[in-house]
Amino acid sequence: MAAIFTVDPRSGVPIYLQLIEQVKRGVALGTLASGEQLPTVKALALELTVNPNTVARAYRDLERDGVIETSPGRGSFVRNNGTASSELRSDVAEPALDNAIRTAKGLGLDSNEVRRLFTRALSRWYPGEES
Amino acid sequence: MIQAPPAIAFDNLTKRYRNFEAVHDLTLHIEAGSICGLLGPNGAGKTTAMKTLLGFLRPTSGSVAINGAPVTSSTFETLSYVPETDALFGELTVAQHVDLNRRAQPRHDQARAEELLGVFGLDRRKRVKKLSKGQKTALALVLALASKPRVLVLDEPSSGLDPVFQRVVLDLMIDAAAEGGTVLFSSHQVGQVERAADHVAIMRGGRLLLYNNVDSLKGQEKIIEATFASAIPDLNGALRVEVVRRVEQAGNMVRISVKHDDGEIAQRLAPYNPTSIRIVDRNLEDIFLDVVSEKS
Repeated sequence: MAAIFTVDPRSGVPIYLQLIEQVKRGVALGTLASGEQLPTVKALALELTVNPNTVARAYRDLERDGVIETSPGRGSFVRNNGTASSELRSDVAEPALDNAIRTAKGLGLDSNEVRRLFTRALSRWYPGEES
Repeated sequence: MIQAPPAIAFDNLTKRYRNFEAVHDLTLHIEAGSICGLLGPNGAGKTTAMKTLLGFLRPTSGSVAINGAPVTSSTFETLSYVPETDALFGELTVAQHVDLNRRAQPRHDQARAEELLGVFGLDRRKRVKKLSKGQKTALALVLALASKPRVLVLDEPSSGLDPVFQRVVLDLMIDAAAEGGTVLFSSHQVGQVERAADHVAIMRGGRLLLYNNVDSLKGQEKIIEATFASAIPDLNGALRVEVVRRVEQAGNMVRISVKHDDGEIAQRLAPYNPTSIRIVDRNLEDIFLDVVSEKS
């Protein structure tokens, strides 16, 4: 089960953020079912060869965000009635959109130009829908 | 709340030989359960700092402590050290080394030693002088880990090891930390620190240049890349702030490496009307190279 996670330690993106993103994505898409047990901190750290405190930090943040729950001695589980899947999907998608807009703004485009590009991209990805 | 003392502590440690200061005013606290990767070019003072920590060298000034206490012979019941150059006996076999360790180390666990010999594929009957450099490193690690130490100090623990066994060494450190142990290791391979360590310390010329959580560091250190319509204006005044590590120019682009990005630099660039600004993440190697090449 742990094999569903992968991290790229050489990336500039902190490893704990990579893990959080993947767990949220997994829960949002149902590859991690509600109530499903996550690997222990130690097992996941050894599976990925990453620092255990880094894994623990990701789990703590996921617990704070209501995605998983940890009961001492039993382990960490995807929360039943946790954060709604639609909300999690937004959680995962939002930073990507944020990045796109930051890139556009960094290139010196004003908000009207960005809006025009966004609308065009929308109609490309959601053909047939009125925007 | 009473805080536990750090597992490893250097406090204002200076180590001077005749005319040469190998370590200058080093203060570094490593919490229990942490893995700290120590990076630095040759001659940075990494080995001297470790040897002083273990009591093999006497501090010129300042102090060191393990779990809040000075180092004594009993410290070594729960602390293991693997030096950079092996301290093995060429004429003795692998099995004889394990036997020596069993007699010298009260907490030696023979089952663990056997397990580790298997992990590294070491032949018990072989004499040490017939072992490759990597196999000697592996044997030194087996002996160090056989007592399940609470504190591990490893000076370039993967030198001579192939990539498969390098990964094994990282996993052994991770396993130790997951059980609450503390690891300080030096390395020339930034990628190992990036994977296994939660904290990184960077030394150069005897001084500690940086100590931080690896993930926090990546969240802070950025490159701000600004392009200008024509020639780059004179930005010297605008960029002479503490947060800037380095400024590079190429054509009409300027790349500014910063210790953290809170929008200040973009604000300072705004009056010069850059045509674009891009903020780029950095991995540990980028950060390391910037830190050690920065003018002191």
